[in-house]
Amino acid sequence: MSRLILKNLTKKFDNVAAVNNISLDVEEGEFVTLLGPSGCGKTTTLRTIAGFYQPDEGEIWFNDKLMNNIPPAKRNTAMCFQSYALFPHMNVWDNIAFGLKMRKIPQAEQKKRVADALEMMSLTGMEKRMPSQLSGGQQQRVALARAIVTQPDILLFDEPLSNLDAKLRVQVRVEIKEMQKRLGITSIYVTHDQDEALAISDRIVVMNQGHIEQVGDPQSIYLHPATSFVAGFIGLANILSGIIVAREENRVQIELPFGRLWAFAGDMHARVGDTVKFSFRPENVTRYREGSPNKIEGTILHAIFMGDTIDLFLDVKGTRLRAHAESTATFKSGDTAQFSIDETAFQFLE
Amino acid sequence: MERKEISVLHYLLLLPGVGFIVLFIGSSIFITITQSFGLFSITGKSQFTMENWKAIFHDKESLDSILFSLKMGLLSSIGTLLFAFPVALFLRKGGAGKRFLASLIKIPLFIPALVAAFLIINLISYHGIVNEALIALHIIKKPLRMLNDKFGWGVVAIQVWKNIPFVLLILSSSLASIRDDTVDAARNLGAGTFAVLFRIYVPLAMPGILVSMILMFIKAFGDFAITSVAGPTYPPSIALRMRNTATLFQEWDKAAVLGVIIILTTLFITWLYSRLAEFVTGSK
Repeated sequence: MSRLILKNLTKKFDNVAAVNNISLDVEEGEFVTLLGPSGCGKTTTLRTIAGFYQPDEGEIWFNDKLMNNIPPAKRNTAMCFQSYALFPHMNVWDNIAFGLKMRKIPQAEQKKRVADALEMMSLTGMEKRMPSQLSGGQQQRVALARAIVTQPDILLFDEPLSNLDAKLRVQVRVEIKEMQKRLGITSIYVTHDQDEALAISDRIVVMNQGHIEQVGDPQSIYLHPATSFVAGFIGLANILSGIIVAREENRVQIELPFGRLWAFAGDMHARVGDTVKFSFRPENVTRYREGSPNKIEGTILHAIFMGDTIDLFLDVKGTRLRAHAESTATFKSGDTAQFSIDETAFQFLE
Repeated sequence: MERKEISVLHYLLLLPGVGFIVLFIGSSIFITITQSFGLFSITGKSQFTMENWKAIFHDKESLDSILFSLKMGLLSSIGTLLFAFPVALFLRKGGAGKRFLASLIKIPLFIPALVAAFLIINLISYHGIVNEALIALHIIKKPLRMLNDKFGWGVVAIQVWKNIPFVLLILSSSLASIRDDTVDAARNLGAGTFAVLFRIYVPLAMPGILVSMILMFIKAFGDFAITSVAGPTYPPSIALRMRNTATLFQEWDKAAVLGVIIILTTLFITWLYSRLAEFVTGSK
């Protein structure tokens, strides 16, 4: 187990910075997810930690050991690849035992550790099968077994679930989380799937264009996005900007093209006359009931039934907003209806 | 009904290729085998006999020829592999000069074997460029006999030079099919350079290695042109010996025996290399 520290890490390809001056401190045993769209630098960061890329600037520390010049084979990390990267010419047993053989672990201990890993991943009885004879889920479990059997200091996951179907993805991510908690191995997990990141992580690092946008636990990332990128990337969000026209204690009134809205300001220090950028979630825009705050009227452009809710696309005097309605509601395109926006739902963005 | 018509047409596609093989190559192999036992003889009475086989196995020159060609086949196939594999690995990964090297190395593909042999003669003959350079540099006092040498190193050198690009094409496509992730996974799990080479690259490229070794063996074992120019004065290669037996001595039946020996040896070496590949990769 290791603490991982990245200090001002930069990695360039052809003079373009894929990772641009990022710093991160991951505690021993912590599960941290690097989340972002493709090309944001999350996989480059992971591969630099593994040693496949040499950083152009900055430092990588495992505990108090500088790792910059240590080759991948000597870093004692274990990586789970998106493609699983099982050795196609070796059976399940030999795949799992590969890292132990490389470390010259005595035969008897190899046998014990591989057998334990097989049992942990419910693979007992499949030792002799070749990777091509396994389903995607089974291959993923072999890849996990192969990674944990070496007792790595840091586990690295590169979008390990993206080749699985939706149901299996949810099941395996629970298994990964349970396994990581039980073994207590520091883990860095890369994904572009926000649901996966929210479900599995102790902390999420949201990345965009090579830099870190926000670091926080899943709840704070979702409920209190710091930037419009985070608000837009994690879940659905209505992102707007307007001018503060009034301030009373901890509330502000914001002027928008379709009217004025009251919002709790929290620790936001903007004054009257300032332009502010803010977001609120579709689930905070609900059908108006007598006495509810921030009443707006909108025309329904699309109403999409999602099972547990109805996803609404509204036109409010020329401004497009997303809203939610209870799944029993009956809406048609072209209907007009009144909605209310929760005053506490406003997140002011940088 | 329509399906059946399509299927007949479909099988007709086989006719030119398979038909040709069966008709000309299959029948000539059949004739060669039967002639070696005295049947279908074109020079004497046709009757079953083991005399031709006995004669060949009691003839020192034929036996020396077989051994010489076997040696050339094995050394050329191993030599080409040893030279081509590192280049194929370099080309897989790339680096400065990759395209230039890839084109340079294809040059021998466009040069016929006989012309190649003459080109190499300029280099390695008794007063060739290599010997003159070594003498000028005071590395040797007397020229080395590299051409028409008794052992056949001159032949091996030309075979290797001539066939590197050919083997490289096969090996490159074999290595290209190995995913980068697979290599990275091995490195990540603690494999150093040698472990990656012998546990990942070699076993995964084994089908290509095997095909190159077998094809190289067949070319060098049955070689006529290169040995006749650069080979030793004695023994001749098995193909040369076969030509001499058939056309100079007019002993077609004995030449047929040598032909059958070439076919059988090739089959045996193919089997041997396959077993060797299984042993190296540890799988069937």
